[in-house]
Amino acid sequence: MHFGGFSALNGVSFTASRDEFITLLGPSGCGKTTLLNIVAGFLKPTKGSLHVDGSDLLAVPPENRDSAMCFQSYALFPHLNVADNIAFGPRQKGVKKNETVARVENLLAQLGLQLHAQKLPNALSGGQQQRVALARALAVKPGLVLFDEPLSNLDAKLRDQVRNEIRALQKQVGFTALYVTHDQAEALAMSDRILLLNNGVVEQEGSPKDIYFRPKTRFAADFIGAANIHAGRAEGGVLHTAFGPLRTADGADGDVTLVWRPEAVLLGAGAVNSLVGKVAAVAFQGAYSDVFLAAGNETVRLQVAGNLDVTAGADLQFSVAPENVISVTDGGR
Amino acid sequence: MRRALTILLLLAPGLGLVIALMGSVFYLAVMQSFGLMNFAGESALSLSYWQTMLAEPRYWRALQYSTYIATTSSLLAVALAYPLALLLRKPFRGSLLLSALIKAPLLVPGLVAAFLFINVIAYHGVINELMVRTGLWDKPIRMQNDANGYGVIFLQLWKQMPFAFLLLSGAVQGLPEPVLLAARDLGAGTMARFRKIVLPLTANAMQASLILIFIGAAGDFSFQAAAGPTSKHSLATLMSNLQGEQGDWNSAAVVAVTLMALSLFGSAILALAVRGIQRLVR
Repeated sequence: MHFGGFSALNGVSFTASRDEFITLLGPSGCGKTTLLNIVAGFLKPTKGSLHVDGSDLLAVPPENRDSAMCFQSYALFPHLNVADNIAFGPRQKGVKKNETVARVENLLAQLGLQLHAQKLPNALSGGQQQRVALARALAVKPGLVLFDEPLSNLDAKLRDQVRNEIRALQKQVGFTALYVTHDQAEALAMSDRILLLNNGVVEQEGSPKDIYFRPKTRFAADFIGAANIHAGRAEGGVLHTAFGPLRTADGADGDVTLVWRPEAVLLGAGAVNSLVGKVAAVAFQGAYSDVFLAAGNETVRLQVAGNLDVTAGADLQFSVAPENVISVTDGGR
Repeated sequence: MRRALTILLLLAPGLGLVIALMGSVFYLAVMQSFGLMNFAGESALSLSYWQTMLAEPRYWRALQYSTYIATTSSLLAVALAYPLALLLRKPFRGSLLLSALIKAPLLVPGLVAAFLFINVIAYHGVINELMVRTGLWDKPIRMQNDANGYGVIFLQLWKQMPFAFLLLSGAVQGLPEPVLLAARDLGAGTMARFRKIVLPLTANAMQASLILIFIGAAGDFSFQAAAGPTSKHSLATLMSNLQGEQGDWNSAAVVAVTLMALSLFGSAILALAVRGIQRLVR
């Protein structure tokens, strides 16, 4: 997909199974919304194809596609009340009046909106508006629901609540979901599969656990969750870092980039990968403490359960099991 | 109390002037239509001017004609301005030029436009000369001062459509793109999107356009005088005729009050019609 000389998407290809929840994850400008708009029919790709059940969709206008979108801004019709917003799609698709009323009532009940049926969108809170947007999309019984960062305008607590509701509803109603977000926590919590996009290409594709525990590229490791990354020349399967020698399970040699997660540490010396650094800062986070260690020009981050009582400047010894040290490529473009 | 006084003082220069000018004109017209406040004669309360005028067929013809011109012009101007406003909602190559061309008539005084128009459609005007010279017509066709007032409606459209365009394009550009995309995504085609989303959300601009154009066209003098049918008066030309040629200020005042009433009721009916449409399309 090109916009003038700029290539927004390049060689992106993926398939979705029925009732699968796929997340397009990536930083701003990586092409995820462009891809969603292509699937919705709002944009036509420069080249490529889009098939659903074997038939090519590219020539089909958005209004005739078996998909519905939940917009980032909700995009509710401001002049229609909640019930009419939800009924809009079925009415346009020629669904009979009785059936439309039944669908609206069901969705109002499912999403806890009965008391708000006659209200205009501007009388609703952000969370309620998002529920109406979801109900409106589901009212046309689409095979595919497209979500364009639907939770980005909600506060943190509400975001958690609505994301659980979306996932529960997806399982209950049964629809394929294509979900765009730049929030890796949202992607990990909701998805069956994640497509990690960077600069218009798929950097990595896999289940949330795959991508988290087995990132293939430096970008994937860094973007999803927190990661400590060391790059250098390994000999005999060991990379000498400022914190000490670091060994991987696969014994990679030569120029390597090694990654380990902050929570994959044990405090104290270990049999291998026994490392030591000076405490630069400690941030108590409630369930865990973030400890930032420095050695030479390098810093690493540890996540330790509970409250760690250490002072800045003290030496702290820790170890990382070799199977938790992953060798990644520099990847991407 | 002090706050109320402050508000009143702040409003006084603007609102006060409008009320003083409008109110005095309205008051004078109404009074004179009942024989009072005469400048050139005795003043005495009388219904005779209304009785005489209401019995005159030319009065009713003028009222009917002005209503026709104002209604047709306002409806056509809005009907033409809507697609143009929608077309120019998003910029494209040449859209600025097109937009400037649409607004150009705002810079040309109405009377100048009327004379230019007459030059084009006159018996020996541009169109007739061109058609006869190219052999497409045997002889010139009479287009000027046509009996149905088409020339006046054309001029009204030419002059008034940019107002409607300005108001509607502002409203149309204010429509959130995701709302239109959502409607499309939910199965609404072009016409359905216009009826169900664009029309209700821009109804206020449409209403304002219709009312402004209706009032302007109902009270038109220059287009009617220059290009209107010779067999019919508009309310404005009838008023001028009564006062100027016959010196009958009181009858002219009756027509003036009628014109104001037409503007008021016509605007009210158009406003109600728009509200009705808004409810209907929901």
